[in-house]
Amino acid sequence: MLRILDSERISLIQEYCLERFGINQEKLENYRWYIGSKNRIYIGPEELKRIKPESIGLCVFRLDKTPKPTTNFLQLFGRYITKNIIELDDNETINYCSGKDLNPERKLDVVPGFVMVRHKDRFLGCGHWNGSLIKNQIPKSRFCKINFL
Amino acid sequence: MEPFQTIRQGIIERYSVLVDNPTEFAEAIHKPLEQSFRINTLKGDKENILEQLKNYDSEITEVPWNDNAYVSQLNNLGSSLEHFVGQIYIQELTSMIPPLIVKDVIDNNTILDCCAAPGSKTTQIAGMMQNRGHIIANDSRHARLKSLRGNLDRLGVTNATVTLRDFKSFPNTEADLYLVDAPCSSEGTIRKKNAIARMWKEKDYKRFTKLQKGLLNKACEMAPSGSTIVYSTCTFSPEENERVISEIIDNHPVKVENIGINGLKTSPGITEWNGKRYNKEVEKCMRIWPHHNDTDAFFVARLEKC
Repeated sequence: MLRILDSERISLIQEYCLERFGINQEKLENYRWYIGSKNRIYIGPEELKRIKPESIGLCVFRLDKTPKPTTNFLQLFGRYITKNIIELDDNETINYCSGKDLNPERKLDVVPGFVMVRHKDRFLGCGHWNGSLIKNQIPKSRFCKINFL
Repeated sequence: MEPFQTIRQGIIERYSVLVDNPTEFAEAIHKPLEQSFRINTLKGDKENILEQLKNYDSEITEVPWNDNAYVSQLNNLGSSLEHFVGQIYIQELTSMIPPLIVKDVIDNNTILDCCAAPGSKTTQIAGMMQNRGHIIANDSRHARLKSLRGNLDRLGVTNATVTLRDFKSFPNTEADLYLVDAPCSSEGTIRKKNAIARMWKEKDYKRFTKLQKGLLNKACEMAPSGSTIVYSTCTFSPEENERVISEIIDNHPVKVENIGINGLKTSPGITEWNGKRYNKEVEKCMRIWPHHNDTDAFFVARLEKC
């Protein structure tokens, strides 16, 4: 069951997006925000009046101790993200898209926490950086063997 | 003879009488289709994405009648990074037609996609709307919602609400456009590998006709005056195309609108089949034959509620 998300938690997410990823608040303003089961947050169109929907819009976050961005969200808003980005090479990209965690040996200029993982200007999705490992956060249903990149 | 060959032969025999050039029609039916796709402009700039793709597929060709349709020489674009990140959607060229004939009504409006799964046209329309307005994406089968939801997520669609209802019992909902891309015998997809499992019998056509009339009837009932209804199938069968439209316009205050796409060769709807005559207005419907544009077969009609 989806409910309208209260303005306090909308602000919390918008502040997190600005602080963590540098996304300007204006990019997230023209949406209706909903909360569903397991504290999943959606952005979408207005509610239907006479029919119960299966889902509305796009699942963009899950609220836990901190907001966890979804791969859907980072792929769609990737062009507005200015920090906490990890750039992958070809081999790392193939491994990441197949669901593997990565252990990059180079120095990364990112703060531990959720990051956007990128290959050139293609936004692969979400990862979690703990200082030594990029823990794969792509949903299992999206894992894919990449043959062309 | 292999079962698939038998189906092809059956289709050629049944429909050769309707085409301008039976030899070319028969040749086209036997020729496999190349993979086609469109670019999802919700996830990036068309030119940039195309440039990336050309790094590994230099043979990509543009489609003269659709400025966002391309044909690839590769047959597994589904394993490309562009597909993974939702920058492209693999879709038959003919399947892209319904949204193209309603460009004038989709901007920032409410669209009810009555049989939405797996979401090809829903995501295409969402891209054309740039995620504005509202699409109600309905399907009657729970098993098909997974693919619909997966495609909406992958392509970054934020303006769609997914519903699970038999459309014939869908609550009355006002929309500017009703899209009825009806389940059909799918004969027009014969050029795709293993597209249909068997040759249909007369009773199968009757079953599809009943289902299609039920869906279109419901859309026409709930549509407010001035709204647009688009009906489409991927079959040759007049029982599922002109007959459905003919009976609907005889029973509802709707009119058939003239449609056309620059550069796409089409044929008018037929007015007689197997001894049955249809309303002359069905000539305004659009038929696409495989040998005319090197595509699948398709049928589409645009109606306006009076």
